[in-house]
Amino acid sequence: MLSNRNTNPLRNLGRHFRRRRKACHCKAGDCIGLDGLQSGREALVTCNNDIKTIERGLYHGKKVMSQRNVAGEPNIVVAVGDSRYVLDRRIARMIRVRLV
Amino acid sequence: MSTQNPVIALAGNPNVGKTTLFNAITGAHQTVGNWPGVTVERKEGYFIREGKRYEVVDLPGIYSLAAASPDEKVARDFLTHSKPDLVINIVDASNLERNLYLTLQLMELKVPLLIVFSMLDIAAQNGIEIDFDHLKSHLECPVRPLVLTKRFDAGQLFHDIESALDREPCGATVRYDEIVEKHLENISALLDEYKKEKAWPEAWNEIPQKWTVLKLMERDPLFHKELPFEWSEAVEKEIRAVETHRNQSSATALADDRYGYIRGLVKDVAQHKTEAGSTFSDKIDRVVLSGVWGLPVFFVVMYLVFLLSVRASEPIMGWLEDGITWLMVDQFGALLRGWHFPEWISYLLSDALGGGLATIASFIPPIFFIFLSLSILEDSGYLARAAFIADKFMRRVGLPGKAFIPLVVGFGCTVPAIMATRTLESRRDRIFASLLTPFMSCGAKLPVYTYLSILFFPKHADLAIFGLYLFGIVMGMVFALLLRKTLFKTDPGNFVMELPAYHMPTFNAIGLHTWHRLREFILRAGKVILLVIVAVNILQGLSFTLNGQETNVLEIAGKAVTPLLRPMGVPHDNWGASVALISGVFAKEAVVGVLEGFYPDSSAIPGAFGGTASGIAFLIFVLLYSPCAATLAALLKEHGWRWSLFSFFYLTLLAWIVATVVYQIMTFNAGSWLWLGVSAALVLLFIGSLNLMGKKNVVES
Repeated sequence: MLSNRNTNPLRNLGRHFRRRRKACHCKAGDCIGLDGLQSGREALVTCNNDIKTIERGLYHGKKVMSQRNVAGEPNIVVAVGDSRYVLDRRIARMIRVRLV
Repeated sequence: MSTQNPVIALAGNPNVGKTTLFNAITGAHQTVGNWPGVTVERKEGYFIREGKRYEVVDLPGIYSLAAASPDEKVARDFLTHSKPDLVINIVDASNLERNLYLTLQLMELKVPLLIVFSMLDIAAQNGIEIDFDHLKSHLECPVRPLVLTKRFDAGQLFHDIESALDREPCGATVRYDEIVEKHLENISALLDEYKKEKAWPEAWNEIPQKWTVLKLMERDPLFHKELPFEWSEAVEKEIRAVETHRNQSSATALADDRYGYIRGLVKDVAQHKTEAGSTFSDKIDRVVLSGVWGLPVFFVVMYLVFLLSVRASEPIMGWLEDGITWLMVDQFGALLRGWHFPEWISYLLSDALGGGLATIASFIPPIFFIFLSLSILEDSGYLARAAFIADKFMRRVGLPGKAFIPLVVGFGCTVPAIMATRTLESRRDRIFASLLTPFMSCGAKLPVYTYLSILFFPKHADLAIFGLYLFGIVMGMVFALLLRKTLFKTDPGNFVMELPAYHMPTFNAIGLHTWHRLREFILRAGKVILLVIVAVNILQGLSFTLNGQETNVLEIAGKAVTPLLRPMGVPHDNWGASVALISGVFAKEAVVGVLEGFYPDSSAIPGAFGGTASGIAFLIFVLLYSPCAATLAALLKEHGWRWSLFSFFYLTLLAWIVATVVYQIMTFNAGSWLWLGVSAALVLLFIGSLNLMGKKNVVES
């Protein structure tokens, strides 16, 4: 067993090589994927690297509300301003949001 | 003014009112709808003002100039290569930020721009107030607010168009992040060097250099492919520098900066008087999209569509057919005979042509009601919701929910359904959805179902027709699962779809929508059906003696094909059924016309088929076999000859197998084993060949 003094540098080395999430200004535990936003909850987009959804208005800093998010369904429905979108859960997972 | 006949393009996000404006200024009657993707190819019209002709082009709705799907590519290619003299950018005032994103890109493209703000009434309802003069001064662009759903002052708009044609492109420019700007300048300098050393790509000639630089920075494949490798590498170095600095992809960095500009602009010129809350559409969606009510509502709506199409059309079909038969066959025939025309001329004009017209007229009511139902669904905004509800099932068969819209359109006509697959982003999804559209019984099959169901199941015709529709859907899903396991093994593309706000459908919009589809259908199919019916009547009349027996060309051809249909219950002497099926490849409704030609007394048809089992097998064959010639041509145009041939052969083989199995099981005897065995062997061959094609990766993912 390594002591704490020895495991910390190793952990940091691991973090160094871990792929960084692009443009994500989130502290650990601060953000969730949009697919995890419960129905009726609002959140701010903190990072989104999907150009298709950015073009539709889900850009960094935009407030979104989850209108329908049922576990097991392949899509979620979100409200962005006055627009309503059906988003593939795979895309929603990549969009990080912070609860407001 | 710049040119003799100025070209004006209408560009904007989907569902903002481009087609409504197009109709208003050209006086045309193009179809408008309430779902993204009504316009999948550009539509052209014109208006004449003070002796001068203005060409107007209605482009498909786009969110940006990224050209991710074919309809977006149509729009971008037109804007960049055809160089319109003016672009009217229609902006939804109730959704400013998202709409201005496209406006900024159009400004970067340096095209002369007139910005028309629509949906002002909805913006006012949502408490949005916009200072248009202030916005105009920021964008340095002409701006015109309009409520397109009501009558508006077209003279003012024409005046704006004329003055905008004389203007320079809008002056406002987006300033990107300082580092991004530096690297954009570096790429621009690289391009300057490139210009000196190499031939400038022809595709870039008409485009401002700044826009080319931005597209290169966004890693647009259509721009990168024009550069030789070493130059592309140099550009890539600049892109990577931006990505390192911004810690995000270059395309998203540019998009974020554009939105930064837009947010500032909107904050300055627009005010939200009330907090955005639940809209009327949200309240309906709580029921329509709910886990408990969503599916029942979906099925009830689909059943109502079917009920309206079948029940409402039944009496009208009879009246129309009887009326035209009385007029064109009885009265006109009597008139011709009264004028002592030769017998063959009166036969050709009254019996063949008049009978053909009566048959076509009988097809119109069910097709009209199908199109009417679809128009109501589309205009109300429910169709997009139905796509969401259907997504759960669609995923299982390997398609995104968005593919549900083309499939529903397929219940009207398969040709526009194949065109509607253009809204799907991935080529795999487009081909896959196109191959499934023939399984959705189109309006042309409905007269065949109705005609034969009334004859074979006089008491339960409704149920039989509904059963055929359901059977088509089930077979489509089975075929889709098979394709998913063999040809299309990859996952469906990502699904992002806008849910439009619910609208109360207007009579005008529904009437136009239905009329356009019906007219196109009648013109396209009517000509073919009439020709086929007349040809069949003529060929039937041309008799000669062979081996001491009187016969005709059709009889010989029909008898040659009938043995192939024997296992599915078509008796040897019912060769009229074979001729009907061959005619059905030209247009499905021709099946009825030809059968009517062979059996003027329709009550003889069940006897000619030899029983209910062969009638059911025949109906199943009609449901599943090769799509009509127009559909095959649409497949050829959209996806190439291979997929057109695939659809022809595979669906005909599938139809034969299913019809044979159904008939043999329903009339099971010792001989059935042989045909069931042959069917099983063909199924194995069918799956094996699909597997083989899958391994050759005929559809690149």
